[in-house]
Amino acid sequence: MKSERLTAIRSGNKRTLAKAITLLESSLDEHKEESRELVDEALAYSGKSLRIGITGVPGVGKSTFIEALGLHLLSDGFKVAVLAVDPSSPLTGGSILGDKTRMELLSREKSAFIRPSPTSGSLGGVAQKTRETILLCEAAGYNIVLIETVGVGQSEYHVSGMVDFFLVMMLPGGGDELQGLKKGILELADGMIINKCDGDTIQSANISKQQYISALGLLSQPEYWSTPVLTCSSFDKNDVVKVWNMISEYFDLVKNNGELENRRNKQNVDWMNALIKEVLIGRLNSSSEVRSLLVKLEGSVKNMEITPYAAASEVIHALDLS
Amino acid sequence: MGSLEEKVKLPSLDDWKELAKVQMKGRSVDDLVSQNGEGILVKPLYTENDIEGISFRDSLPGLPPYIRGTQATMYAGRPWTIRQYAGFSTAEASNAFYKKTLAGGGQGISVAFDLATHRGYDSDHPRVSGDVGKAGVAIDTVEDMKILFDQIPLDKISVSMTMNGAVLPILAGYIVAAEEQGVSRTDLSGTIQNDILKEFMVRNTYIYPPGPSMRIIGDIITYCSMEMPRFNTISISGYHMQEAGADAALELAYTLADGKEYIRTALKAGLGIDDFAPRLSFFWGIGMNFYMEIAKMRAARMLWHDIVDEFKPINPKSGILRTHCQTSGWSLTEQDPYNNVVRTTIEAMAAVFGGTQSLHTNALDEAIALPSEFAARIARNTQLILQEETSITDVVDPWGGSYMMESLTDQIASKALDLMEEIEAAGGMAKAIETGLPKLRIEEAAAKKQARIDRGEEVIVGVNKYTTTEQDEVDVLEIDNEQVRESQINRIKEIKAKRNQEALDGVLDDISNCAKSGTGNLLELTIEAMRLRATVGEVSDAMESVFGRYKAQTQTVTGVYGDAYQDDQGWMEIKTAIERFIEAEGRRPRMLVCKMGQDGHDRGAKVVATAFADVGFDVDLSPMFSTPEEVAKQAVENDVHIVGVSSLAGSHKSLVPQLITELKILDAKEVIVIVGGVIPKKDYQELFDYGVKCIFGPGTPIPKAAGEVLDIIADIHSF
Repeated sequence: MKSERLTAIRSGNKRTLAKAITLLESSLDEHKEESRELVDEALAYSGKSLRIGITGVPGVGKSTFIEALGLHLLSDGFKVAVLAVDPSSPLTGGSILGDKTRMELLSREKSAFIRPSPTSGSLGGVAQKTRETILLCEAAGYNIVLIETVGVGQSEYHVSGMVDFFLVMMLPGGGDELQGLKKGILELADGMIINKCDGDTIQSANISKQQYISALGLLSQPEYWSTPVLTCSSFDKNDVVKVWNMISEYFDLVKNNGELENRRNKQNVDWMNALIKEVLIGRLNSSSEVRSLLVKLEGSVKNMEITPYAAASEVIHALDLS
Repeated sequence: MGSLEEKVKLPSLDDWKELAKVQMKGRSVDDLVSQNGEGILVKPLYTENDIEGISFRDSLPGLPPYIRGTQATMYAGRPWTIRQYAGFSTAEASNAFYKKTLAGGGQGISVAFDLATHRGYDSDHPRVSGDVGKAGVAIDTVEDMKILFDQIPLDKISVSMTMNGAVLPILAGYIVAAEEQGVSRTDLSGTIQNDILKEFMVRNTYIYPPGPSMRIIGDIITYCSMEMPRFNTISISGYHMQEAGADAALELAYTLADGKEYIRTALKAGLGIDDFAPRLSFFWGIGMNFYMEIAKMRAARMLWHDIVDEFKPINPKSGILRTHCQTSGWSLTEQDPYNNVVRTTIEAMAAVFGGTQSLHTNALDEAIALPSEFAARIARNTQLILQEETSITDVVDPWGGSYMMESLTDQIASKALDLMEEIEAAGGMAKAIETGLPKLRIEEAAAKKQARIDRGEEVIVGVNKYTTTEQDEVDVLEIDNEQVRESQINRIKEIKAKRNQEALDGVLDDISNCAKSGTGNLLELTIEAMRLRATVGEVSDAMESVFGRYKAQTQTVTGVYGDAYQDDQGWMEIKTAIERFIEAEGRRPRMLVCKMGQDGHDRGAKVVATAFADVGFDVDLSPMFSTPEEVAKQAVENDVHIVGVSSLAGSHKSLVPQLITELKILDAKEVIVIVGGVIPKKDYQELFDYGVKCIFGPGTPIPKAAGEVLDIIADIHSF
């Protein structure tokens, strides 16, 4: 039976969608259970958006670019959801989410939905819930979902594993930057832009572009697509359109050659595995007996009273019994 | 005749230290050294040793480097100008106030504009419905200007205008109003603030991005240096930095760095240093840090003289820093408000000892609302008493030669030099602003200062010490914003119906083209447009279409406030309560901190955001200048528990109820709304009736507010 909640989400009620996302992100077991059911129901209505991940170091201009791209997409008749996954969390546990201050114009638009999510401290794991959030946004009728993530730490790996297109943003700069770059990020990229290419920086942006093109050439790329590198100023509408044309070209291609479906199917396997892990870890934590055993064994392993292997078997055994 | 020293061996500094130690029951005198925000150590005793090697200690007033004053005789010759800043929502009411002020001993007038005007919007613009007539006078066309200055002889009375964003149409409107009064622009005297750089650091009443804004300033300086020899083209302002939480060294350094940037702009526009430098003036905020404020003003004159000297002026006037001062609005309190008269008096004395050229003394109710007539009279009389009842004016720079004062002057000057070097290294202030560094520095200072106050380390009588339960209801001036807006809109309609539209359209096009090409003078064209009855908004739009509207880059500091509380018990209790909240709710308490309308004062909002995040809230920030409808949408999408509205410009009565209505429309009536900032006590009940759950006035310690907010959310979610 379809829940009222899903009906409200599908009818475009932002309040319900936003509250459902909160439920997904909750650390409470009952909320997790509830949200799992909701996502399961929503699956039938999802899958119809273009899922685009956007990453880059802080200061590269992600939000400004997303605002420009989002406004362009709205004018093309799309409905746009933006999920800002920001792992920056101060030691204090709380966080400041300023994403909308950098997407002032987009945040005003009725056909846009922007949701910044904190990933602070003990709660953790919000990035893993981004996949489910995408599905709910799709059920709500958003046909473009942009996921913004900071290119430091682990979140970009999670995000690239749940999107159709992964866009990496870079700043204009010399060769030093290329050497300092995490090679891993280049391997994830389906497209790359050198941003803030305006005024004084045009020349250095073009140099960077050539360097990235040759760096990408060293990586193994699929036969049907070699990662393009574009220069861009978010203040120049033509540049933003250029980037969008590159992305839609990709989608035309992979929709036709079946690679989009392949990619999503592979991601579904990853999703399943992630869910299994999540449930198992949840069970570890929910049984107080197993949890105290775990604490005890951690001490024993540290004191070399037991091998890690033996300790792990003991925990798994206890879990089987619980 | 033998001197005294020969006969009596004077005791040494070590003897004093020994004696002090005995009198302090064994504690060292070093315990008495205090350090304030500037990081300058203030000792309990200064001696000749402290001024050894200070090169300027024998300087004289009226002569370089002007530490001791701009003129040889200072107030002994003629006292400072009493200049009270005021704007009363309509041109008519402001005009009446100015006339009364002039009759009562005021010597110049000072105009405060409403926020819509500052940001280049006409009164009929949909984004400013809550802002028209708030915090100053609404000006749409030259007709409003003519009413504003009616029967005020503009060739005799100097006019100071606080305008930065919409500086072109306002300055042009003033020139045209004078023209139609029969006064030539060459006879106009006064000052326009026109200090856009500080707007990007604090206050936020800019319109265009930094580049085009500097071009406008170049055009104004160029025009005025030729056409308006008695008019000061920029009032380079530290005041707003201090109000936003900057310490004296930051205020001094960044203001002078701004000044240097304006010099470069004017030189780039083709002027010579002596063409405009004598017409630059400064504006300091004067707070309760008495000695430091005097030292700041003395150091400023010396440093400015050195800065200008680099550009090789011939006219000695080019290197003289002349300044206006205003007592600190930030130091005023809502609690026990009559204390504010005392605070203002002390601050006014610091400004006078510092050698100001003109002074605004705040009214006692300025922490709560626009000044009432009674409060304005006391504020003005404070200055008259200083000028006429005390003998303070008889002596030039009376602190000169004080070991302490000369040493502090030297120390704050070198602190400021270090900070200015950092800005120079970034390529000057316009470039530094793009990095966001100066703004962050000020916000960091503000968060630290707030933490010191909330912890009681900085005492504010009646707020964090010696509080009274007695409530003094202060009479505040009420503004019917809706009525002001309506009459402004009607006036715009009338004017638009009567004017020569075709001619005006041509000039507006010329303005756009001039903006685009970079040749021609924007002020000259704007004067033409204002003559043809253009509105402030039309002129602004003509340039916005080319320059674009600047979007604030919001950066925030974290951890600064929380650091001060690391082992505070009350703080830890809130943190524990938040952990309990997470266990019950599955997430942290989440609050959207918002600014609505054109009120750009974001110090309070930023400090609250950083402090709440430090204690463990998830804090969302709204873009500046949001409408209630937009804030409701943000609150819903981010699914916050609570919206905290920061209001300092008196628009709360229209904007807050609108927000609550919009939340209801979006199915989100259970989102809690709280309000912080400058809210008159008598408005509390009305806001509560609309559904506001809590109101925090100035001086509420943040941990207390955080605790209360947590209780309210917990209460509603019933655990």
